[in-house]
Amino acid sequence: MSIRTAIIAWVAATCGVTTILAHSFAIGMRADENSARTTVAASTLATAASPAERAAQEKFFEERIRPLLAARCWKCHGAEKQESDLRLDTSAGVQGKGVAGQPIAVPGRPQDSLLLSAVRYDGSLKMPPDQKLPAAEIEALESWIAMGVPWPATAAPPARLAAAERAAVDRRSHWAYQPIARPPIPSPVADLNRVHPRLSTPLDALIALPLQAAGLEFSAFADRRTLARRLALDLLGVPLDADTVDAFVADESPDATGRLVDRLLASPRYGERWGRHWLDVARYADTKGYAFAQERRYPYAYTYRDYVIRALNEDVPYDRFVLEQLAADQLGPDTPTESLAALGFLTTGRKFNNAHDDIDDKIDVVSRGLLGLTVSCARCHDHKFDAIPTDDYYSLYGVFASCHEPGELPMIGPPSQNAAYQSYAAELAKLTGELEAFQTAKRREHTELARRNATDYLARQLADRPNVVLEKLSFLVGKPDDLRPKLVERWRDYLKAKSRSADPVFGAWFELTAVDEKAGGMDFAALSRPVIDKLLARPEGVEDGQINPRLKAALAARPPLTRAEIARLYGELFQEALQAWTAAGANGEAENKLPADLRQLAQPLIVKNGPVDLSGSDLKGVLNRAEGNQERELRKKIDAFQATSPAAPPRAMIVADNAQPHNPRVFVRGNPARPGKEVPRQFLLVAASSERQPFRRGSGRLELAQSIVAPTNPLARRVLVNRLWMNHFGEPLVATPSDFGVRAEVPPQHAALDYLAATLFERDWSQKAIHREIVLSTVYRQASVDRPDARSVDPENRLYWRMNRRRLEFEPLRDSLLALSGQLDASLYGRPVEITRPPFSNRRSVYGFIDRQDLPNLLRVFDFASPDQSSERRPRTTVPQQALFLMNSPFVIDRAKALEQLATATPGGERAAVDALYRQLFARLPSDNERQLGLAFLASAGGPAADVKLSAWTQYAQLLLLTNEVAFID
Amino acid sequence: MSDDQTDQRPCGGDSPARLGDTVLTASGWTRRELLRRSGMGFAMLGLAAVARDDERTSAALGAESYRNPLNPRPAHFPAKAKRVIHLFMNGGPSHLDTFDPKPALEKYAGKALPTPNLQTERKTGAAFPSPFKFARYGECGLEVSELFANTAQHIDDIAVIRSMHADVPNHEPSLLLMNCGESRLVRPSLGSWVTYGLGSDNQNLPGFIALCPNGYPILETQNWQAAFLPGVYQGTHINTQHQDIRKLVENIRNDSIPLAAQRRQLDLLAELNRGHLADRGHDPALESRIHSFELAFRMQQEAGEAFDVSREPKHVLDAYGPGTQARQILIARRLIERGVRFVQVWHGAGQPWDNHDDIAVNHRNLANQCDRAIGALITDLKRLGLFEETLIVWGGEFGRTPTVELPQAGANAGKINGRDHNHWGFTTWLAGGGVKGGQAYGATDEFGFQAVDKKVHVHDLHATILALLGFDHTKLTYRYAGRDFRLTDVHGNVVRDLIA
Repeated sequence: MSIRTAIIAWVAATCGVTTILAHSFAIGMRADENSARTTVAASTLATAASPAERAAQEKFFEERIRPLLAARCWKCHGAEKQESDLRLDTSAGVQGKGVAGQPIAVPGRPQDSLLLSAVRYDGSLKMPPDQKLPAAEIEALESWIAMGVPWPATAAPPARLAAAERAAVDRRSHWAYQPIARPPIPSPVADLNRVHPRLSTPLDALIALPLQAAGLEFSAFADRRTLARRLALDLLGVPLDADTVDAFVADESPDATGRLVDRLLASPRYGERWGRHWLDVARYADTKGYAFAQERRYPYAYTYRDYVIRALNEDVPYDRFVLEQLAADQLGPDTPTESLAALGFLTTGRKFNNAHDDIDDKIDVVSRGLLGLTVSCARCHDHKFDAIPTDDYYSLYGVFASCHEPGELPMIGPPSQNAAYQSYAAELAKLTGELEAFQTAKRREHTELARRNATDYLARQLADRPNVVLEKLSFLVGKPDDLRPKLVERWRDYLKAKSRSADPVFGAWFELTAVDEKAGGMDFAALSRPVIDKLLARPEGVEDGQINPRLKAALAARPPLTRAEIARLYGELFQEALQAWTAAGANGEAENKLPADLRQLAQPLIVKNGPVDLSGSDLKGVLNRAEGNQERELRKKIDAFQATSPAAPPRAMIVADNAQPHNPRVFVRGNPARPGKEVPRQFLLVAASSERQPFRRGSGRLELAQSIVAPTNPLARRVLVNRLWMNHFGEPLVATPSDFGVRAEVPPQHAALDYLAATLFERDWSQKAIHREIVLSTVYRQASVDRPDARSVDPENRLYWRMNRRRLEFEPLRDSLLALSGQLDASLYGRPVEITRPPFSNRRSVYGFIDRQDLPNLLRVFDFASPDQSSERRPRTTVPQQALFLMNSPFVIDRAKALEQLATATPGGERAAVDALYRQLFARLPSDNERQLGLAFLASAGGPAADVKLSAWTQYAQLLLLTNEVAFID
Repeated sequence: MSDDQTDQRPCGGDSPARLGDTVLTASGWTRRELLRRSGMGFAMLGLAAVARDDERTSAALGAESYRNPLNPRPAHFPAKAKRVIHLFMNGGPSHLDTFDPKPALEKYAGKALPTPNLQTERKTGAAFPSPFKFARYGECGLEVSELFANTAQHIDDIAVIRSMHADVPNHEPSLLLMNCGESRLVRPSLGSWVTYGLGSDNQNLPGFIALCPNGYPILETQNWQAAFLPGVYQGTHINTQHQDIRKLVENIRNDSIPLAAQRRQLDLLAELNRGHLADRGHDPALESRIHSFELAFRMQQEAGEAFDVSREPKHVLDAYGPGTQARQILIARRLIERGVRFVQVWHGAGQPWDNHDDIAVNHRNLANQCDRAIGALITDLKRLGLFEETLIVWGGEFGRTPTVELPQAGANAGKINGRDHNHWGFTTWLAGGGVKGGQAYGATDEFGFQAVDKKVHVHDLHATILALLGFDHTKLTYRYAGRDFRLTDVHGNVVRDLIA
């Protein structure tokens, strides 16, 4: 084993290209371990039986048992599937334990074996679920267990490595899990120097090595004009004006590019551009999804979007950026209130009306978005490929199950004190008042009702099958349907807490409900007689060990004749006491006026936090359908008002830790109805440092965030720099940006990735530092022109022998149209605006309202990132609907009209106007041919005429806006 | 990634790239067919060549590929059905009043059934026999209620699945299950999967269209969502309440200039773009975008035609009858005829078939709106030779209870003359491409409460629909978030008896 380990270490160390090799070694280990296990199994068998017996047992197994197991069990408990984590295709599995810890098959003891009780349909577990086995097969299983569960040695299929072992192997072998080391920078290479007199940066030297190995070299530098446009659109998402481009082209100083980059990175437009990239990862939207009768919008999602834009503009260190998004509420007193908005990372996802799926969404965005690990795969079973066991999924589940999203969100900006705010506050108070008045009234109403129906609730506790049994009882007050689920639960909890033998009131409840009605064929009245006699013998009084005098009297006068009548007995007593209390004034004073025995009996119906007290609790499970609708309507009014009122002060969509953290259990097959073993809240095995500790502080959110950005965790940094690279080059270095698990290929430019990841750490997690590293490099500044020779070697340009030409995504395309026509509204931040329907906003696309439940067609056809899951990368499609938008949308035509004004206002005739348009749109002058074509078009286009409502200039300006030169970055 | 690892994927099957590769080596379309379908001659051929060249070099959808993702491609194996019309009776039509007669209910009318009422969304009471008359139709002699008398004329070509079942008695999860194969989480819809698998035969129209008058069904666009598949595979909603093409398809018309002027614009645009391209050498992305304007220009024409039912001869219009349902079902035929891959026809906004009250009146009205047109659709498809290529699916998200719904404040109008949701057993029928018609498959119990014989879960229906279209449902997969997803997740069995 140690030699093999050494080989793996060596393989991993030499280079990632051999990951697959390392894996086949790992598989080799599994097979090996398996044979060790079978040897043990065989020897056990050998000691248990003589050779002749053993042969007979094996024959029995092969003829009777194996076919039976294969036909009846293995479909769900075999190599393919392991329902309830159970395998019945191995000796170890059969002799293992069930979910609740019961032994499956105890050698020699069929009666203690879960397997047998399950196939007999004895207990609650009935297997196989569809149909009971024929008696002969059940007998065979019984005989087999009685024999000692013999299992021939050859029968064992490969066992799986335990998660910890898999994690250990993967951590040694998989490239993405290796610590990040700054790669040694190779010395400049002669051939490269031929093309580029100097290698601009260490990054270039690293990229050049694999290029050279493939017989390739960098392309020539892009010209200055191209570079200026590339930088502006990459960093800001809007083009530069012609004067700025001209000045840059004319600037011959060696640091001209550096200064331009500095200027661009300092522009607030930068945060808008790169904020949108991050919002793709964060699956940001302004609505909850399907909200039924609730308000659909998140009134304050925009504060998260604004936080992201601001954080990027301020270059908040990436580790801090992550900490704030997961745990801004726990970062200490120095944390500014505004950064609470960062928690929107967790809360702006789709709401599923189901806590488990909401948590799953959070686990997914955190694990894929920040770590490049597909943890959600482990919700129902261990991850098929990565060493992520279900335990780890539920460890994270525990973190998010220990948090809640408060109804009242904290303000993060001071409310203005102007009149608009005053009237907003007044209206909000009015709407909130309406809701509260409704709730108060309903609480009172339902408490009254619940008091009246106390007997029914008590009867409900005694009924096995709820309403079927209840309907037959003559003493009920209301209808069984009137019982409210939440109150049924509260009665149950109350009785559970109170019901002790010594209790002066509930002692009789405790004793009488314990009478087993079915015992010995006697009826309840007869069975309970001695119990009642004993109770009546207790001394009267209201202390423990005594019996409440009124209870005693009632018990003597009208003893319950059936089990259900226990409820009648208590119900009458409670009502009597309640009436006395009501007659005395129904308040605290009234309570004191009552004699002690009555006061004691009144308690269940009047005590604070008693089973019918609804003050201070929400009304879920109490209101009926119609009332629930009314409450939702009132709530919706408040939410809608906040979502639309411009004076509503910004609030952060936070999460907060629960008072009691949740200790998670693994849900077997992902089914919450089947809780399995408890697991601690802790970090992922495969990404944790070797000394993994359970989280200790509250939910563990902060510790989770700290683990993600810990210097020992290489994933967060590799994943981030890969995303940054992708958004500069149009292609990532690692082809699966949200999956760095063992199936992620070794990137062809691995060293470049690690160099940037190391640099991120050295430069205090500054994203702007990484941008600078990238855009000032030779690899970035190359031309994008095709080179057929290089393309034949590396058709996908994975080695970066040129810059990729990229089509603008929807946002920079739309923003460009606005900027080029001089109409971009450059205001920052604030509530979302409508950008897809008239009247069109002229603000940047990042401020557009995103309804995840009804994503506008326009965004969809332009490959907008789905806001339902963290987006790894956007698809890129070319469909005619994109062209239709540009050809026909009034939004685009309006831009063209603005350009017409610019053209016609240019002095010097048509030629000058054409030139002016070219400068405005392309920051260059037209070629002679282009100018001639333009003039010819203007001469022939005509208009405006009867059916041609646009002038020739508008038509011309529009078609220029539609050119590939506008839509692509060279 | 190595091939042996590929085989270990949980759901098996092909990555998008694989699917793409298959297309390239075995293009299933002839030149004549292409011209007929696209109606646009050589420009389309040019684009196809470009797109294919592009695909050949692409590692996966998204990588170095600005290809048109709707280019047609063959399925896993040859199949008769090429296109789908899904008639979605949203809200849950009662199987007991349409295709699954239960005379035993008469015996218990107004009384409790001898078997306990299964749990559904709300409380139900006594047995409630169908207020509609049933009759036998066709050579197969299957019984269908008077509500679908016109549809029933084609019963020998229809396979009625009477043993459908789903998971829960609520609209939202059941709609998601029926449409996307998963009742809670965000997953691509059936139409998206089919369009992803087959592309579309007409590049001038969206490949997957959801027709619904007056707005959205509940859950809105989630019903035809592409989820993690590229957005172009999502259903395009058309509000068929409108008749003006401008309101039907976004940006389909330029209100400011006529087509001739726009043609001149696009001619100069093309010339400028060609010059731009010539300076830059080979670039499929630039070329694709150049062509996309030509496609869009033709789409304006074709889309207008496709949705303009007034171009149909009078006898066809008469056959479909009056009203919105008739018009949208006729539109569905026109779309299918033009090569659109998947057309979903929703009965209406909200959940029209959800008759908790007054089922006798409401179900009659609803059926009256669509039965004649459904009958006409089948006749029409047969006339056009398209019936064998078109799979028709009829059904809702679930059926309804054989017992009457009891009054409950806020839940119904308290009339005690409707039925509650029923996921335990309901009916869906299939007709057309490759379907073995003239049969009732499976059965509910004596009273129609629950599927008991040859049960068909929604996953099984999906597996069967994909099989009818030529797919192994376990192999039509898409790699996302570390897994290969499929419509049927880890479920689904093809019901072979439904396939001719």
